[in-house]
Amino acid sequence: MTTTLWDTNGGDIMKALSAERRAGGAVASGLAVTFVTIVDEKNIGEAERAATVAAQAHPCRLLMVIRRQIETTDRLDAEVQVGGRLGPIEAVVMRMYGRLTLHAESVVLPLLAPDAPVVTWWHGVPPDRIATDPLGVLADRRVTDCALAPDPKAALHTRAEDFAPGDTDLAWTRATPWRSLLASAFDATSAGARSAGVAAEEGNPTAALLAGWLTARLGVPTEVAVSSGPGITEVEVALVEDDEECTLRVSRPDGRVATLSRTGHPDRELPLLRRDLGDLLAEELRRLEVDEVYGEALAQSTGIADLGDRSPKRNHIWRDPTVAQVAG
Amino acid sequence: MTTSNPLRDPRDRRLPRIPDPCALVVFGVTGDLARKKLIPAVYDLGNRGLLPPGFVLLGFARRDWGDGDFEQLAKTAAKEHSRTEFRDDVWRRIADSVRFVPGSFDDDNAFDQLDSTLVELESSHGIAGNAAFYLSIPPAAFPQVLKQLDRTRMAANEERGGWRRVVVEKPFGHDLASSRDLNQLVDSVFTPNDVFRIDHYLGKETVQNLLALRFANTLFEPVWNSNYVDSVQITMAEDVGIEGRAAFYDSAGAARDVLQNHLLQLLALTAMEEPVSFDSESLRIEKRKVLRAISIPENKAAFTVRGQYEQGWLAGERVRGYLDEEGIPPQSRTESYAAVRLGVETRRWAGVPFYLRTGKRLPRRVTEIAVVFKRAPHLPFAKTDTAELGHNQLVVRVQPDEGITLRFGSKVPGSAMEVREVSMDFLYGASFTESSPEAYERLLLDVLVGDRTLFPDHNEVEASWQVIDPLEEFWATTTPERYRAGEWGPRAADDMLALEGRTWRRP
Repeated sequence: MTTTLWDTNGGDIMKALSAERRAGGAVASGLAVTFVTIVDEKNIGEAERAATVAAQAHPCRLLMVIRRQIETTDRLDAEVQVGGRLGPIEAVVMRMYGRLTLHAESVVLPLLAPDAPVVTWWHGVPPDRIATDPLGVLADRRVTDCALAPDPKAALHTRAEDFAPGDTDLAWTRATPWRSLLASAFDATSAGARSAGVAAEEGNPTAALLAGWLTARLGVPTEVAVSSGPGITEVEVALVEDDEECTLRVSRPDGRVATLSRTGHPDRELPLLRRDLGDLLAEELRRLEVDEVYGEALAQSTGIADLGDRSPKRNHIWRDPTVAQVAG
Repeated sequence: MTTSNPLRDPRDRRLPRIPDPCALVVFGVTGDLARKKLIPAVYDLGNRGLLPPGFVLLGFARRDWGDGDFEQLAKTAAKEHSRTEFRDDVWRRIADSVRFVPGSFDDDNAFDQLDSTLVELESSHGIAGNAAFYLSIPPAAFPQVLKQLDRTRMAANEERGGWRRVVVEKPFGHDLASSRDLNQLVDSVFTPNDVFRIDHYLGKETVQNLLALRFANTLFEPVWNSNYVDSVQITMAEDVGIEGRAAFYDSAGAARDVLQNHLLQLLALTAMEEPVSFDSESLRIEKRKVLRAISIPENKAAFTVRGQYEQGWLAGERVRGYLDEEGIPPQSRTESYAAVRLGVETRRWAGVPFYLRTGKRLPRRVTEIAVVFKRAPHLPFAKTDTAELGHNQLVVRVQPDEGITLRFGSKVPGSAMEVREVSMDFLYGASFTESSPEAYERLLLDVLVGDRTLFPDHNEVEASWQVIDPLEEFWATTTPERYRAGEWGPRAADDMLALEGRTWRRP
């Protein structure tokens, strides 16, 4: 089920993978997607658990790349698994050392499942410019997570500046249950919105994106207030219905159960759980087309316009961190 | 209503379809179907966040119960049978909105109380007059319940300020005349557009995938006709016996129970022309055309087979014969197996036989559609090289192991030229595992959202009975063939295919 290769090369990984596939019989056929994960050594357990959950819904070839220190001898260690502890997937976990870390694509490219879409996910701080990471350039869809950045709001801004259609962020994925609930609340009213507000923990990027989405869709300004969390705690929309003012409020103080209240209607309680990383990834893998709505929300929340008009294709920009350090 | 919602955007594929605030009223809520399928499906929808903010599950049954007793039953049912993980948090929200109205179907007061409960819920739960009535009851009770709904005006959309829908389970009558009566009754109490006839096979992912396979690809449609197709075999086999449904089953039989609805619907989806669009109306038009074009064999003695299982061994256990089942009269002539050769009289299918079969106590539970292609017109190999080569086949596996198999010839490795059949498998589970919802979950959501695409209308039901009625008429005077429990049907079914030089595929 598992083959471990020390100080190896891409060719041997390929051989080990096809040997594992044959030995596993029909364990993993019909791959729909290749899932490239870039992760730090300390987060590898978390990333593996999440990928396992996501793989339940979308069996994929998981290529996990761990870039170790650059100032050492070039070396590649790999672990090949088919249908093992990571669920119904084929997985290759690769640790790269030395200058190889800058050329990770030379190992990853031949391992991509033929003609299947590629999703690259940075579980950690992504590069400021995705074009400098060849593993981002070769992907059809790129998933970042602003919430992991030291300054999430600045990270969101960076993402907008660097945006290309096909980018998406888990901070946006976390907004889906809120958006779904708000949209269904709006199904039952014909009222127009006057203003909106979101309350969340300080610097919560999901709140910023949710506010951006509300502004983009409702055409009214949306304030973001700070609360003690966890995550987003309240969304309020002021409405006008038949010249009468009323409000629509969804509050979730405990991160589990939301109360939906609307003027003139009884309060309703609904489960609104904070989802774990695996569920978020499963949602990301479900649809692989460009998420235009995210582009609009991101543009609105950062004030950088026309993100959707950019080219979806990036060209690799060579950047050598060791040279930059000398220059800096 | 959704079109004017500024928060909805067709490009926004992340937001799920969520029904309007509504009540789901289930008649016969203590029955097997409600406990094993409906209530778990409601829980699963809730767990996936697909229930509207205002949602009420209202049970109606002849029990001396309060809301709490019903909630207990519903909780147990959800815990035991739900597809997704059971979470107390989620259940508590649903439990808040579970109501029960006790009463029998002839009790006017009970229905008045049901009506007033619904009106109360409008203000307490904000359901805005929307309600779907699920008739999970024996067909004999349909007229009574429908008349009660009519009397109390609970079925009237306009008067209630919201939508009122009804969900009916098969059987839709027992012949053309009775199904017409039933359709007329239900369509007049509700409007025809508010009637949802559930054929749970159509909620299965692979059945919908059959449409994607045929109409989203260029690869299959060019050979999907009598030029290339030799025959089509549609099988629905069950390993179970009649499982406590003796009274109903013995009055119906395999043809009315399965052939009339599931198999003919699968045939229609396999044989239909491309619809102009994927809305429910266009799809129904195409299905109806196929159902009307079905021809019944002239020689019914040769091309229809009925069977009844005798005792035998199945999966390592001894099982009793049909006539020994509890509640079956010893001289019963009801079939537990039916096979028939049908034709579809269109240019596309002229001359291609459609072999349909269904039965109980067959070796395993399997439903599949096998499209068997003609053999290559000329084989440039020596006869011995291709001795092992059969027909190319495309098999849509509906259940279990949902997926598609393509069988074709391939060279056996070695120095000699020898061609043998191999299978290429697409397993739904392997490419998209757990995202496949249960059929009932999907269909229930469709009812609440108001999407009729996967529900046959009364025209289709009546067209199906037009196929079955002449067969039943012929069978009325015959006795079913015998087959041992645990084998693939009576020998007569094999003879039926052998007449035309074919054999059944082993599913």
